[in-house]
Amino acid sequence: MLSSTVEDYLEAILTITENGRQSATSQEIAAALGVEKATVDASLASLVEEGYLERVSDDAVRLTENGSAVASQVARKHRVLQCFLTEMLGVDAERASKEACTLEHGISDETIDRLSTYMDDAQTAPGRHMGRCRRGQGTCTLLDCKEGDTARVAMIQGPRRNRRLLDLGIFPGEVVQIRRKLPNLSIVVRVKGCDIAISPEIATSIIVESCP
Amino acid sequence: MRFALIGNPSVGKSMIFSQLTGLGVEVSNYPGTTVELQRGNTCFQREIIELVDLPGVYSLDGSSEEENLVRRFLEQKDTDAVIVVLNATRLERNLYLLLQVAEYGLPMVVVLNMADEAVKEGLEIDPGPLRDLLGIDVIPTAASQGKNIDQIIPAALAAPRPSAIEIPYDHHIEAAIRSLEKMFGTDRKESIRALLGFGDNPELLEAARTIADEIESRHRMTVAQIIAANRHNFAHEIAGLTIKEKAHLPKTDLDRILTRVFPGIPIMLGILVGMLLVVFITGSFLEEVIVEFFDVFLLQPFLALGLPPLVEELGKSLLLALQAGFGIAFPYVFLFYIIISILEDSGYMTRAAFLADNAMHRVGMHGGAVIPLTLAFGCNVPAIMSIRLLSSRRERVIASFLVTMVPCSARSVIIAGIVAGFVGIGAAFSVYAIVFVLILITGLFLSRVTPGERFGMIMEMAPLRRPVPKLVMKKAWLRLSEFLFIAMPLLLVGSVVLGLLEFFGVMGAFEQLVEPYTMALLGLPGYSATALVFGILRKEMAFETLAILAGTANLGAVLSSLQLYIFAVVTVLFVPCLATITVLLREVGSKITLAITVYTVALGLLVGSLLFHILPLVM
Repeated sequence: MLSSTVEDYLEAILTITENGRQSATSQEIAAALGVEKATVDASLASLVEEGYLERVSDDAVRLTENGSAVASQVARKHRVLQCFLTEMLGVDAERASKEACTLEHGISDETIDRLSTYMDDAQTAPGRHMGRCRRGQGTCTLLDCKEGDTARVAMIQGPRRNRRLLDLGIFPGEVVQIRRKLPNLSIVVRVKGCDIAISPEIATSIIVESCP
Repeated sequence: MRFALIGNPSVGKSMIFSQLTGLGVEVSNYPGTTVELQRGNTCFQREIIELVDLPGVYSLDGSSEEENLVRRFLEQKDTDAVIVVLNATRLERNLYLLLQVAEYGLPMVVVLNMADEAVKEGLEIDPGPLRDLLGIDVIPTAASQGKNIDQIIPAALAAPRPSAIEIPYDHHIEAAIRSLEKMFGTDRKESIRALLGFGDNPELLEAARTIADEIESRHRMTVAQIIAANRHNFAHEIAGLTIKEKAHLPKTDLDRILTRVFPGIPIMLGILVGMLLVVFITGSFLEEVIVEFFDVFLLQPFLALGLPPLVEELGKSLLLALQAGFGIAFPYVFLFYIIISILEDSGYMTRAAFLADNAMHRVGMHGGAVIPLTLAFGCNVPAIMSIRLLSSRRERVIASFLVTMVPCSARSVIIAGIVAGFVGIGAAFSVYAIVFVLILITGLFLSRVTPGERFGMIMEMAPLRRPVPKLVMKKAWLRLSEFLFIAMPLLLVGSVVLGLLEFFGVMGAFEQLVEPYTMALLGLPGYSATALVFGILRKEMAFETLAILAGTANLGAVLSSLQLYIFAVVTVLFVPCLATITVLLREVGSKITLAITVYTVALGLLVGSLLFHILPLVM
């Protein structure tokens, strides 16, 4: 099996299982990749053999620790590339997604890291707002949540600037509740029994795991 | 013997400190009250014990001024024991700091404060597991009622131990700690600090950086985030053992009305206007009573004595100064401080900060700036000191300009005494309106031209509490006594100097010299310039001096309404007082201080002369 095919399969399974589901069926995988179910069954068998997947039932599989590491690395490459193509180069979203699918298999980890850092820097530079791109692919920030929602923090951008968030208990993995959201987007979140008021520009750098 | 108090902001450290030492310390229900080390002594069994009150911090890893201060203090190990004060109602978040302090390996005692509030919230506290886990003494207290406070010192004296607790870090971090220990012989705490980028051994930092990069690329989280998450999760576990939610008591949630646009913002504006109105109306009534009292019982009998002219002049100056001082201190300054203390203790200040966050962004700061701006109504000096809670230099520079422009209680005296008294209360409010518009314009302008990074607000909302009258009065009294001890001597000296200058005719010469200019520019007589100059010492002295120089307290008889109005506007805007200039120098440096001084003088004269030349045309 080509390594790019392996990566495509793992990425597809990651996407299917992302919303808290435990496993993906071969039908769903076939639909996501646009190939025959028979082909999928054959490929899954070899992926299980190689230790990327484990069977949950006859028809369903889930990622092993190893498989999920590969999948999230590819998914990240895809996100970064797509973001780069749409936001920095102005390629339209559909085409960017397709090309990111091709490029993600050839690009090295280091180059992706550098590209990502480069874009982070560009984002914090005055006058550039790339929040929209980050939110594609089903990522939302705290500002997308409504009053009363609870959300699990996935990532915080600009971690060094926002050190105080960590100390107040807002860190990746923690669940926060939106207590108040003003029309001007200043918010109050409740975390660890305390209410924390946060300015909009900081709230927008807090990425939450699933969109409400 | 020396013990240090450490804890999160608003956990009652300062209250415990003042109960133990008998010293007055300002206690506020928002972060950032204690920005310096407070030291005090207490006596226990005929031994003198020094207590150090450290500023409230959330963590020892941040880069804010308070965090640096506390970290340096702990690193010097210049204390026999650390008394960690925890808020029982927010135990988990407080334990996060405790775990960090424990890593320093100093002898510790834990004070579980606000135990009474926790019980009221339906929480059941069992200090047993915490005591066992930490291996040190844990004392539940209720500082607001003084409960168990007397046990703290004996516990700290009874040969306290360092806590044996160890935070279980992520296995990558643990591996990094082991590698660093092998390579450099550093202990656990030093290794963790090196991974976070703290330390003074460049080789260690270099090695730690490499390991940290490695860990970061694997976790897709920074090392700081992993470490913080480990500590928080451990704190969560410990808190779960110590505190049980016995009953979920339904609480009235005042935030439902306080932090919404409606009715939150009308309430906020109402509080501001209400505060000014109360101070104006009650203040001017009380002032009249005090001034009358001085006139009838001291001044007139003294003048009736028929002493030699020089002695009489001196005595009169002193009495007038006392009259002016008391006439201001109690009605205005004290009232302002009572109201501000109520706002602080109730926790309302942080609500106002949240509501005003967006507006403050427009003038180049964030919501936290509401606190210095409100404090400034009482006195600019503590307000300037509190701008430290703003995180960037840019915000502090902007705030220092705006805070100095806010009419403090001394300037309110001028507005109330001169404008409200002789022109009308509507005119008095128009002076505030002019000043607020100027503050707004200045802020809009400064936010455009001031260089530097922007920071947003991340602020803990203080819990809403019913202010305790005794504590409110105590705090207001404390602040008033600062005013009395700093301002009164200045007022007395200033008044005597003025009396002498007047007596020897120096004043007359100066006034004749400047009169043509003040008349042309502001339409004010020469002696008003003298009053303005004395206003630099203490703002309210401008008013008193004017009254003394005019030879009557009934200013309406010697000056026109327009003149009085212009005088008040110019004085309110003109140069910050001496005390403010001194703190400005310390907080923002000589360049900015000079800029503020020049700007305010120019602004005062410009606005005054505009009023002088335009008002007669429209009225």
